[in-house]
Amino acid sequence: MATPTWSQRISAFLLSPSQFLSSITSDSFLAELLHELRDDKASDNTKVLLLSPFLDHPTILCPTVLAGEETTLELMSVLAQTPQKAVSLKCSLMLAISTVLICTTCMERQPKVAEDYLDQLFQTIEDTNDHRGGLSLQPIRATACECLREIEISYPGLLSQRLETLYQLKQQEITVVHQAYSSLYTLALKNAVFQLCQKEKVADADIKTLLCANEGFGWKAISKPLPPIIVSQMEEIPQVRTGVDCRELKSIVSSLLEESYLLTPISQAALFRELIDVVSMVPALSPALFKSQLLRLFGTAQVELVHAILMMKSAFTDSLFSTDDENFFLKRLVCMAQHPLLSVPEKLFYIDCISHFPENRPLSSQGDESLPVLVTPHLTVSLLPTVFNDSSTMLSRLKLMCMVYLEADEGEESKGLTYLFDHLMALLKIVDNHGRREMVVTSFRAVFIFLTYFSQIVKLTEVLIEKLSELYSRHCRLAPNLINLCDRIQDHLEDSVWPVELLKTLQRLVVEMPPSQLTLQNFSWHLKILKRAAMEKEIPQRSSIHFLLNALYHSSLCERGGWQVGNAILAVCRNLLLHPCVNQASVSIELADLLHQMTGHYDDTDIRDHARFYYTLLTNLSLEKLSGVLVQSQDGGQTKVRSLSAIMSETDGLSSHLAIHPTSGPILQLVRLQQVWSPPAASYTEDTTTEGHVLQHYRCQFSDSEFASEVTLKYKLAYLGETEPLFDKLFSICMSFDLKDSNYEDICDICVPCLFRDRKPPEVCLKLKPKQPYPTCFKVSAVISTEDGLTWRTQLPDVKVSFPDIFLPMPVPMGSSSSYKEEVFDRLWEDICATEADRSAISLFCFEVKENSLQEMNKQNFRNFLISEPSDIGECKVLFFLPPQFHVLFRINLTEDAVKIDIGTDNWELLPYINSYLLKITKT
Amino acid sequence: MSFRAIWVLSHEKGETVTLRFSRRYSTVERRAKCLAGPQYASIPEDCAISRLIFTELGLEDPDRLYVAARDNCVLHQESLILELHPDGSGRGILWPLLTVTQGGLIMACLPLVDSTATSRPPLSNQVSICQGIAFLSGLQAFMSAGSKALEPDILAARLDLLPTILLNICPLGTPVDTPHSAIFPFLAVPTPTGSQKQPAWKAGFHKGRSTVSVSVTETVRSMQYGNQNKQDLWDVYGTVVCKCEVEGIQPNITVTLSLPPNGSPLQDILVHPCVNTLDSSTLTASSMDYGDSSAFSGPYKFPFSPPLEPFRLCSYTSQVPVPPILGSYHLKEDNGQLQLSVLLKLHESVTNSFEYCEAHLPFFNRCQMGVLDVKVTSGQVEVSKEKNLLVWVLGQKFPKSREVTLEGAVHFSGQTAGPTDPLCTDGTAYIKLYFRIPDLTLSGCCVDQHSVQVYSSTKPRVVTSRDLVSSEYYIWNSTGLTPMLPGAMMM
Repeated sequence: MATPTWSQRISAFLLSPSQFLSSITSDSFLAELLHELRDDKASDNTKVLLLSPFLDHPTILCPTVLAGEETTLELMSVLAQTPQKAVSLKCSLMLAISTVLICTTCMERQPKVAEDYLDQLFQTIEDTNDHRGGLSLQPIRATACECLREIEISYPGLLSQRLETLYQLKQQEITVVHQAYSSLYTLALKNAVFQLCQKEKVADADIKTLLCANEGFGWKAISKPLPPIIVSQMEEIPQVRTGVDCRELKSIVSSLLEESYLLTPISQAALFRELIDVVSMVPALSPALFKSQLLRLFGTAQVELVHAILMMKSAFTDSLFSTDDENFFLKRLVCMAQHPLLSVPEKLFYIDCISHFPENRPLSSQGDESLPVLVTPHLTVSLLPTVFNDSSTMLSRLKLMCMVYLEADEGEESKGLTYLFDHLMALLKIVDNHGRREMVVTSFRAVFIFLTYFSQIVKLTEVLIEKLSELYSRHCRLAPNLINLCDRIQDHLEDSVWPVELLKTLQRLVVEMPPSQLTLQNFSWHLKILKRAAMEKEIPQRSSIHFLLNALYHSSLCERGGWQVGNAILAVCRNLLLHPCVNQASVSIELADLLHQMTGHYDDTDIRDHARFYYTLLTNLSLEKLSGVLVQSQDGGQTKVRSLSAIMSETDGLSSHLAIHPTSGPILQLVRLQQVWSPPAASYTEDTTTEGHVLQHYRCQFSDSEFASEVTLKYKLAYLGETEPLFDKLFSICMSFDLKDSNYEDICDICVPCLFRDRKPPEVCLKLKPKQPYPTCFKVSAVISTEDGLTWRTQLPDVKVSFPDIFLPMPVPMGSSSSYKEEVFDRLWEDICATEADRSAISLFCFEVKENSLQEMNKQNFRNFLISEPSDIGECKVLFFLPPQFHVLFRINLTEDAVKIDIGTDNWELLPYINSYLLKITKT
Repeated sequence: MSFRAIWVLSHEKGETVTLRFSRRYSTVERRAKCLAGPQYASIPEDCAISRLIFTELGLEDPDRLYVAARDNCVLHQESLILELHPDGSGRGILWPLLTVTQGGLIMACLPLVDSTATSRPPLSNQVSICQGIAFLSGLQAFMSAGSKALEPDILAARLDLLPTILLNICPLGTPVDTPHSAIFPFLAVPTPTGSQKQPAWKAGFHKGRSTVSVSVTETVRSMQYGNQNKQDLWDVYGTVVCKCEVEGIQPNITVTLSLPPNGSPLQDILVHPCVNTLDSSTLTASSMDYGDSSAFSGPYKFPFSPPLEPFRLCSYTSQVPVPPILGSYHLKEDNGQLQLSVLLKLHESVTNSFEYCEAHLPFFNRCQMGVLDVKVTSGQVEVSKEKNLLVWVLGQKFPKSREVTLEGAVHFSGQTAGPTDPLCTDGTAYIKLYFRIPDLTLSGCCVDQHSVQVYSSTKPRVVTSRDLVSSEYYIWNSTGLTPMLPGAMMM
């Protein structure tokens, strides 16, 4: 197989990082990416591509702050070496660096690299109007502005002490890049004003000082981050106290507004948002500042700019908009909501804006469901839905107009209401004329919307029932739509009788249907209707029973029905058994007849059996007991719901009791137990091997297929925090393990018989068989049973296997002498040194050490791996065996002021892990 | 004001969905996480995205009659916005997802909602929503490169360009422009001399001969019923498209639209963002005022500084007293054949000189046409290849009387069923007119060559034009039922 190209690998990574990283660790992938980025031979386009994983998934590549910092350093050096003319690559690199710095939270430690990078960005943008860098660097300056803006958004206030510089730059820049400068400055300004609002004491000249600030970066903003700022969403907008001198601020806001025209509409919208916030926070600034822009904006066709007016309206209401302005604007919105030249999403957005229009004087403040007072039938008449509208426009208009006419309350004779109802009828007519599936769904949605507003107008809803049942008589495939409509109306309008009335009518329609119209196909739909109708206590059921009896007696249903129809009949019967009508002896007898008929004559054995079971239940149990058996418990499953009767009914019962349910969150966890090492055996046996063959002999065991290169890790299976009482007793826990990479052999499932909250948690041994001894992490899920017989599936927190977890002592026979071990160690070392070019490698690690701490460290970390005793003067030898057959050897020597560890390994790929392991244990 | 992710997917007739492009903005995602706190829902991996969007758009299982998750009547009440359900339950819902579809292409973006509240804020509070709408419509225009049908080659080429475009216009999730109007990748715009700032929406300067062309196109729509009880409806909307090749950073141009002395005012005027000021009277007339003719009736001045590319300077609607062509259509079913009678009258105020004029008479829910026995007083009648549509080609001119008729009968005898339409059953049938008349506007609106003012060192050549086209121009069978429109309520 050909090695995949970078482009293939990158797309594979982006498509599914988790799958991609199952064959390679993120560390090595990161290392490869960085290596290739440094390669001069790689083309700029490839390098841009290589940067996309950093942009889209930075935290997967750099899971730790440290990795983030190192990656930033690497990318910075690549950036420094990239020639000026590689503009696109330079821009991508800057974006990648910013992304890594922000996402790995590396910024928060304020490392030097972040400071350097910010300085570099600042230097880049200081070259206004292409003076130094020339024309080709325009995109780089724009990107630098965007990076700074993103950093300022992420850490509000970071640029607050450099407002003057930013202002000067914004003023000087006259190329197209001025937009980026302007957006950056406006954001920094808003954040700075917000910071000021948070201050307890604000001096008169504070705003002035702020605007003239020209210091370093506001790192304080990072160490004490402000909450994410959404001024407009705050219940109480923080304000700078009045009396603070804000003349300069006023002129700056004015000039920004004046130049807003030069920005693209999308950037204008953002600029207006920031400036609205600034003016809201500084009461001394009058909203009238925006007046100059309003007329231009009122005429705009651009959705972002129309929205900008709406934001101003919402923020300043009558301090910026007169009553006339308000009326005028609302009229514009209505006109745009149906304008032939605007796109559907735009029009839908305007319809939403109309129903949430921020009025100067709203009548009520009760939630968002009430319509603005100004939205009257007269104003919105052109938004009445038509059959020519696309589905979403039609439904949005219908909803709005229902609200409008409900609010207007013009009575049942209102022209508007009549129009809406006629529209519904027109939709149903289209459905009747074999409208497409989408049209059917849309029409039912329209009926639902209409009913949620006008279910109280009996005259109309009765006609609706009539029309729907006519429709059903011709198209019984609509049964699921009708049932869904009934269900949802019952959910939404609890006291509405409409669904029951509809079902009653449908039931009547079905039972009165002439036998000639009953095909097997139609019959299944009818059974669905009868089943649903049997759930309503108010609907008498005798006619349903008669209908079914008739069908069984007088047709070939028993022979041709098959299991599915039989089961559907039983589903009706099951609901009938629970219906209060069985209290009447006559009904009960007829139902018994029905079941008896099925028991005796239905072709399918399974159906016959179930019918017999129902028959037995009906004839032998009191009604209370009957419902006790059949009704599913509502209280979290304390009764045995997994009863035979439930399995039989076709839908809910069957699926909910045979299905595996997901738990709503993790309830179990595996907690690592400290490994207890048995002391090395005391007895010594003689070594029979001759010196020269020690290594050969030692290595011989690896070729033995019996050689168990396994790592056993012990865990206890415990509850994770509080859980529902239902889970206090768990049975038949079967845990499966899903490796995230392919460095290990698959792990067998582990079964634990039970787990009780009040008993000692069981111990679980996990046997890992590495193919490559790298740290790993695996997903754990468990299938469990609860006392009520339900089966659950739950996800456990991922189990991490760190690098030292897979250390094993030297695999020598029990009781091998220490001199033998030392011999093996020495031979291995020589071998590693000799074959260094191969997979072997030697390395060096030094660290400072305090008194006695070396001994302590040896004792703590290397106790089980010592080859020569630490008490010995001079060198101390440590060997870790890493299955399947790798070794890491340490020779630890104490020099004058430091400890020197010579590292040898027969797998150089382990070096980064060894390094981080040593860094970790020597950190204290 | 930012997007968490942008996706482009394509599918063929509901099958084989492929993810064609994906970009995730990690820094925005970090903010999303901070804002949402414990309610944060992460975005699933790309391999799962297409299926989720597909399901949510109701495109899955096109052949199944009813799928609860897709066809529930409470869903999609405001289908401008979707929500994704990555784990199929009520948890981890991603909201709000904006989508735009064109043919088999689905473009989607997930805007960041600036709200820490647990309940969903109204859409109209969120800048990122309207930015998303504008961005996606720009993306759609960019992807289709202006053509209606998507060409696979163009699409592939555009998808290749997309990363570079986004590097410029949405580098870190906060958009600064839309893909369509974006300045072409890394096309550095020369540094302007002097102190005037270069508009960010202008890709460069024009050098060479100056030309300004302004064209006014009016579109007329109509619903004519030929029924005493039903008011005929028609409306007109116009667009003014400019192409300005004029030197300078921000050259100032003023285009003036004027109406004839008794013309009804232009309403609902919408302008391009490059128009820098507007007289308040320009916007006063609104179609919502239903025929208030006291409003300002021009001349309408539009001062602007043009972008380089052609653009729609403004659009308007107008209420004209009569439709250009008044028609009647009678259709009677008689022993398996249809008796047709059509009369079309060209209004006397309308220039009798068409670029083209055709009347289409489609027949639905019937078999194919057999014997055709029709007479026309002008033009020719053709039968479409599928044998379910009569095309009456009227050519460039109506006769002197300005009236044309079509009389006759159509037999439906074929074996194959023709197209179906759930609306046009029984007597519900229509004629649809297609025509274009050059050098005419119904509102009388025009741009005088001499009224175009250009403040520039060189005098430019000014070209103006106008024309009228039809769209959705229906004449319904007067003896059948007709669909209802709100127009009648407004009268």
